[in-house]
Amino acid sequence: MDSNKTYWKGLEELNRTPEFVEKNKHEFAEPIPIEEVLSGGGLSAKTPRRDFLKALGFGVGAVTLAACQKVPVHKSIPYLVKPEEVTPGVANYYSSTYEGSAILVKTREGRPIKVEGNPGDLLSKGGLSAQAQASVLELYDNNRVKDPKLNGNTTGWPQLDKYVKDELAAIKASGKKISIVSSTVHSPSTLAVIADFILAFPTATHVTYDAVSYTGIIQANKNSFGKAVVPHYNFGNADVIVSFGADFLGTWISGEEFTTQYVKNRNSKSLEEKKMSRHIQFEAGMSMTGTNADVRLPIKASEEGIALMNLYNALTGTTLPGSKKLTNANADKAIVLAAKELLAAKGKALVVAGSNDVSIQTLVNAINSLLGSYGTTIDLDAPSRQYAGNDTVWAQFIADAKAGQVDAVFFLDANPAYDYYNTKEIEAALAKVRVKVTFSDQADETSALCTAVAPNHHYLESWGDDSAIEGYYTVMQPTINPVGNTRQAEESLLLWSDNAVKSYYTYVRNNWDTNLLAKGGLAGQAGWEALLQKGFINAAPVAAGTYSFALDLNAVAQTIISQSAKVAAAGKFELQVYQTPAMRDGKKANNPWLQELPDPVSKVTWDNFAAMAIADVKEMGLEEFQVITIKGANGYTIDLPVLPQPGQARGTISVAVGYGRTSAGLVGNNVGKNAFPFYNLLNGTFQTVSGVSVEKTSDIFPLAQTQTHSSFEGRTVIREATFTEYKKDKAAGIGEEEHEKYDLWDKSDDDASHARPVYDWVMAIDLNACTGCGACVVACNAENNIPVVGKAEVARRREMHWIRIDRYYSFEQNGEAKTDGRTGMVTKEKDIAKLQDFDNVTVVHQPMLCQHCDHAPCETVCPVLATVHSSEGLNQMAYNRCVGTRYCANNCPYKVRRFNWFNYWNDSRFDNYLSNEHTQLVLNPDVTTRFRGVMEKCSMCVQRIQAGKLKAKIEKRPLADGEVKMACEQTCSANAIVFGNRNDPNSAVSKALASERTYYVLEELNVKPGIGYQVKVRNTISELHA
Amino acid sequence: MASHSESIIREPLITGKNITYAQITNEVLNPVENKPNKAWWIGFVVASLGAMLWVVSISFTFWFGLGSWGLNKTVGWAWDITGFVWWVGIGHAGTLISAVLLLFRQNWRNSINRSAEAMTIFAVICAATYIVAHMGRPWLAYFCLPLPNQYVLWVNWNSALMMDVFAISTYFSVSLVFWYTGLLPDIASIRDRATGLRRRIYSILSFGWTGSVKTWQRFETVSLILAGISTPLVLSVHTIVSFDFATSLEPGWHTTIFPPYFVAGAIFSGFAMVQTLLLVTRKVLGLENYITMFHIESMNKIIMLTGSIVGVAYITEFFIAWYSGVEYEQYAFINRATGPYWWAYWSMMSCNVISPQLFWSAKLRRNIKFSWALSIVVNIGMWFERFVIIVTSLHRDYIPSSWAMFYPTWIDVGVFVGSIGLFFTMFLLFIRVLPSVAMAEVKLLLKTASEQSKKKLIDEGHLEPAEVQYYKESLVKYDSVDMSQYEKI
Repeated sequence: MDSNKTYWKGLEELNRTPEFVEKNKHEFAEPIPIEEVLSGGGLSAKTPRRDFLKALGFGVGAVTLAACQKVPVHKSIPYLVKPEEVTPGVANYYSSTYEGSAILVKTREGRPIKVEGNPGDLLSKGGLSAQAQASVLELYDNNRVKDPKLNGNTTGWPQLDKYVKDELAAIKASGKKISIVSSTVHSPSTLAVIADFILAFPTATHVTYDAVSYTGIIQANKNSFGKAVVPHYNFGNADVIVSFGADFLGTWISGEEFTTQYVKNRNSKSLEEKKMSRHIQFEAGMSMTGTNADVRLPIKASEEGIALMNLYNALTGTTLPGSKKLTNANADKAIVLAAKELLAAKGKALVVAGSNDVSIQTLVNAINSLLGSYGTTIDLDAPSRQYAGNDTVWAQFIADAKAGQVDAVFFLDANPAYDYYNTKEIEAALAKVRVKVTFSDQADETSALCTAVAPNHHYLESWGDDSAIEGYYTVMQPTINPVGNTRQAEESLLLWSDNAVKSYYTYVRNNWDTNLLAKGGLAGQAGWEALLQKGFINAAPVAAGTYSFALDLNAVAQTIISQSAKVAAAGKFELQVYQTPAMRDGKKANNPWLQELPDPVSKVTWDNFAAMAIADVKEMGLEEFQVITIKGANGYTIDLPVLPQPGQARGTISVAVGYGRTSAGLVGNNVGKNAFPFYNLLNGTFQTVSGVSVEKTSDIFPLAQTQTHSSFEGRTVIREATFTEYKKDKAAGIGEEEHEKYDLWDKSDDDASHARPVYDWVMAIDLNACTGCGACVVACNAENNIPVVGKAEVARRREMHWIRIDRYYSFEQNGEAKTDGRTGMVTKEKDIAKLQDFDNVTVVHQPMLCQHCDHAPCETVCPVLATVHSSEGLNQMAYNRCVGTRYCANNCPYKVRRFNWFNYWNDSRFDNYLSNEHTQLVLNPDVTTRFRGVMEKCSMCVQRIQAGKLKAKIEKRPLADGEVKMACEQTCSANAIVFGNRNDPNSAVSKALASERTYYVLEELNVKPGIGYQVKVRNTISELHA
Repeated sequence: MASHSESIIREPLITGKNITYAQITNEVLNPVENKPNKAWWIGFVVASLGAMLWVVSISFTFWFGLGSWGLNKTVGWAWDITGFVWWVGIGHAGTLISAVLLLFRQNWRNSINRSAEAMTIFAVICAATYIVAHMGRPWLAYFCLPLPNQYVLWVNWNSALMMDVFAISTYFSVSLVFWYTGLLPDIASIRDRATGLRRRIYSILSFGWTGSVKTWQRFETVSLILAGISTPLVLSVHTIVSFDFATSLEPGWHTTIFPPYFVAGAIFSGFAMVQTLLLVTRKVLGLENYITMFHIESMNKIIMLTGSIVGVAYITEFFIAWYSGVEYEQYAFINRATGPYWWAYWSMMSCNVISPQLFWSAKLRRNIKFSWALSIVVNIGMWFERFVIIVTSLHRDYIPSSWAMFYPTWIDVGVFVGSIGLFFTMFLLFIRVLPSVAMAEVKLLLKTASEQSKKKLIDEGHLEPAEVQYYKESLVKYDSVDMSQYEKI
């Protein structure tokens, strides 16, 4: 209903007074005082409008100016002209060679970032050693010599060339000697260059000097069979292997190759066929090979020869003159049993000795000849070229130099000022040499004594080739432009000898075109390109001939006895000098990855030490890490901390070489003590065993170990069986029946949230294949940008390795009480404390990394969901989300999570390792570096999985099994690690996990780990335990 | 509150003759309204130096990273979480006193609740600093809050740490509100006596308290409601703190007994801390008439009881470890008692289980010096308890290769000692600006539960002589009662 009422606001409206009518004509009833404000008092008010605007203007201007401070500008320059084949974000692989092994070099945006094995490689079938993995970092070493040097001053190449050529011309005229001193060269082209150089300068000689020498083997073969070579061993053909101090899985001749051969007879496939080789090791110090032996007995280093004589006696039934019993009665017993085993396996047996003594190696030859090893397990017709050093020739060079007969010396990959035992002698000798040129690109100890430094390329910057084994040729190609102003040594030699070919690349091409390509059935440009693609060629194989030994052994036996007596007489203790798989001869001492790689046996990083028998340590009243002074026969003394080593022969001390560098670089300088001076030259070869005297000091020098508890406490973390048990029951050692498991979650819900629609990434690790070498650790470091933290942090138990090798000892106590269900095995700490005899130790290596549990305990406790599960079964870390409560690490039963305690990538304390501007170039751009306060751990190389899936998707095909390999898996010569998709029943990993030997560590916790381990099987000799 | 006379056989809660409301106000406000004495200054200087150490240690940690602590790959928590749990536990007595005892009408709480609640708040502050400080990236601590965001990132409600964030923040806010509500009438008293700026400040802080009947009525109601809210917190907060361990897989942590055991331990350590503070405060501030031997003895009895509960829990843990048949669990406990950290375990056992049993002796629990010393011992023991649970469990768990030792750095020590300094700095400031005894609540007792009111009843002579005799005997233990006046009766 419409209202017709009228409301009025006031009487004025009702009355409609004239004033009201007048006012209501305008929009506003009352006038707005605009004029007043604009003209009158408005401007003279307390804060006038203009002042306000002025203040506002000034304020805004000031703030704007203040905000104009420069922010740091990070320049990233795009390719103006994109180089052919380089696509940002896509890796290129180039085949090359490392120490005779065919490798693949991964490059990103023009810089090599990782070395990977070439699956076709003859030596290690795609595996690589820790040293090879770490070699890429040396390319970016800050310590590398960046320019040529003359008399200590930086100079240019023309000046250096002029100096060397003038000097060489003068020497040539005077007829004095020129020596090229190198470690073993097995590159055909380099050897040809040296030969050409000698042609140009007829007084020149090539002296091969290996810091760790195999002259004993070469000489023995020369004496025995007229072939001065290191034979090519084939452990794969051996059913029984007896080693006397040869660390053939680690540092002896060709560790990676021998590992592939050795594991062939011990891995899952072999076990399935109920076949397993037996490995018996006699040695003084516990070597990595010793840790893998089925039977290992400690014998004094000086008794190696006597033990071999006893073996010979047992094999032949004769008695060599001077034969006597060993100090360790058990070892004597074992030798008789070993002889029985060896005879039974005639033609499939192999005896090796680590000694560099000609007599001992001659005796080994006699034994191998008896066993019919030549032609089966030993090949003298396609021998190894890996070591050709001749100690006598080297000694002669020093004598000549001291006599002033040598006027020029060139050092190629040789550093005798550090690794020759008599430093004073080499200094005296070099003082008499006028022209001393080193090709070393490291400012090493020898460089300091040289007049000229002509820095060589790193091998990743070089052209070249290699031939580690007769008939196997690999090619080396550069993967980056030289980082510094360096020049390849071969090119320098070509220039200095006025060779017709000036470029080494052309020289290599010519050499291959004329001599080598044909051996692989290749020819011409196409052949060369095919070679560069493939990386190697195999010449037609030469059948290994049989050889028989026909020398008289009486003289040999006499030498052995007298040498042994000499060592025993020289001091209370015998010092055995050995190499560790990480550091070897110390040439790579400046490599932080290798320094931080725990020793496979002692788990010590960043130091060498005096390994002593526990009985001796107790007898001398020493503590762990107490410093002792070791004094050699030649008066050389070093102070080293004691490490009580189970399995060390009593009366012996083992010290690793490769440490105590004084001029290695910021990383390697003064790490440990130099043990090379304990060498001595006897009967024409370097001897690694000598008598020493030992004195206690009161100092304690703690070592940085990554593992300090060596007993697995009888826990089912480790499961073992003997081969006899395995033959009866394939599931032997697996232990208890299935645990009853309870689940809090609704099953249907569980299935939905834990669905793995396509992939379920898992891993299988064969404890029987793993040798504990640690190559996987370095490979993982390189792949995943894992920081190096240095000795102090490792000592605080803060190493960052995503994968580690756990090493446990257990002891055999004959006739003693059982402790954990296994006859005579002692594993528990409290029993070990009561133990007297630490000789009979067995060792197991267990690679441990994130288990990617399906019921991951780390995931449930993270307050911010920084670690979560993927639909492919991976346990993932979102670094950006992590606030660093560390609860996940506490709750991880496997203790595989690593926390960034410091900002390792931007903290001056860690600059020497990986975070300086050079070494940072090695980082994998696919993996982020982690900031401080963030947790990290194994990601199952998720970047590799993603790359593999992407590639398959682009090619519109499913991802094939084995296409994606983990960095650790890839480098493992023993193939101990298999990764793959559990959803695919035909995948290698599914098959591996289906093995009866498979168990899961801490399975009873029901965390559902994604990594299955296979029981360790030992082919023990039951008679020994009776 | 009760307006009739209290039974004569109950011990008095306030001692002294001729105490008036004004006298209570005067005595309690003495430190608030006057210049501090020498004892306070000495305490304050020492405490501030401690607080400075805390600032230095925490700054060092933030600048260089958590690596400056002694933690490692195996032992990811040590002094940090030990300190956190220790402080949270200490806080519990305050809530128990203010809330649970209020609901149970335990009037003796009226003299000690103020200081105990203040202690709770400061202890929770100290604990909260550890939550932030132990993080690898403390500047991202807000990630732990369920804040809506465009990344659709959420927090993990399964994680005990997440529950902790809520438990501690709830606990802190409720305790603060409860404490402040109780303070209102007392602040008003200060306001009424103050002049100038002080008056303005206290006036604002008193929220306009008028003292009308309606105000008092509402005050009582709110107190009861807050007590009701706080009571579950006494149980829940430390239960949730115990979840940090109990919901994990770690042998030695994964234990269902943890919630009750932690709560008992918390009350145990909390009462010990109240003793530590009040025995000194009553002497220095001359509050002997309000905090009497009855209070001291009652608290000692609670310490004895909770200490015994904790002891039973320790033994039960051992039994269950054996009974479970789990080798890791068994090893964890044997390792505690006999492993490399045996000394920590036996320090805990002797401080927490054996020493409180001494309070069975009435003489000892009425001995002030002894009580004070034992309260310190108990808190040392409770620190070791958390250290034992955290470090000795972690340092040797499932995989023996990772077994490691924990060695603290000076920063670890600095953060902990510094947090004690921080705590005492706050406490000493508190007694300078706010009444350390709840005046209003104590005044409630003056007419009923005080010595003088009972004396008056005796003097009036309508009581059973036997009861009077009983009462007289109970007065002997008091150090603040003048027994001469009872001689004639």
